[in-house]
Amino acid sequence: MAFMRGRARRVEAQIFTASMADIVFLLIIFFILTYKVEVDKTKMELPKTVLREKIPEKAAVISVSPTWAEPPLVVRVSTGEEMALPVTTDEEIVTFASNVVAQDPAKAFIVKADREVPYERVDTVLDALKQAKVKVIYLLSEQKTVDD
Amino acid sequence: MKIQKKTFTAEIFTGSMADISFLLIIYFMVTMAFSANRGMDFALPEENQKVTEIKQEDAVDILVQPGGVIQVDGKPMPLEGLLPYVKSKLLQNPEKPVILRTDPNATYGNMITVFDELRQAPEKVGIEIKTISIPTRREIENIWSMLGVA
Repeated sequence: MAFMRGRARRVEAQIFTASMADIVFLLIIFFILTYKVEVDKTKMELPKTVLREKIPEKAAVISVSPTWAEPPLVVRVSTGEEMALPVTTDEEIVTFASNVVAQDPAKAFIVKADREVPYERVDTVLDALKQAKVKVIYLLSEQKTVDD
Repeated sequence: MKIQKKTFTAEIFTGSMADISFLLIIYFMVTMAFSANRGMDFALPEENQKVTEIKQEDAVDILVQPGGVIQVDGKPMPLEGLLPYVKSKLLQNPEKPVILRTDPNATYGNMITVFDELRQAPEKVGIEIKTISIPTRREIENIWSMLGVA
């Protein structure tokens, strides 16, 4: 039987990209669902604890910048819904916390401070929160492991 | 001669969709923060709740000093000895509160270490500390002035 000599069918090399959009959208959905805006971006070494409770969403934040930060020991406040702003006096912390509590009496407050911050500074913050009649305070911490 | 009509098929150009999607992914990845969202909680007394003044001698008094050294009821004590001591006191009086005071020059980390240890009492020594009080310096000064201590 004689073969008919035909032109060889040319197959172009290609990467199948049709499913890429699906994967990408899946990733986008993941990031949108898990997205959380960090209201205070102050870099610090948090104290380590064994016990750690889950902090409620949108809790107000009061952070104390570390001694090595520039400027050091600055207190920043945020209602949990907008970026943290620095305050200059202790009275401002009381005023801020009182306003937040007036709007939502059950609002939780997060105290975020570097582990090397002198306690005196944290004491001032805790005192301000007590004066503002805050009900629950969370001291932000990292998980303590066997290596610590 | 019959002229063949050129037909166009309707289509939506999706070639740039991947670019836009990747741009969005990069935005979310860069701005996303797996922020720490756990910590130690402590509830403050409610406004209508009866606040009782705790005298230092009626409670277990812990003083955290600089360097993490602790003094319990005026005596230096290693951190490991704290919970057994507190347990022995609570067995006599389960309502006995624990006052956690911290020297202003000690670090926040020193105070948290002791507070964390106290909160682990049910797991470590099988006893629950009902009241852990963390008075602020102003509160301590107020109590001292009320008691007439200079």
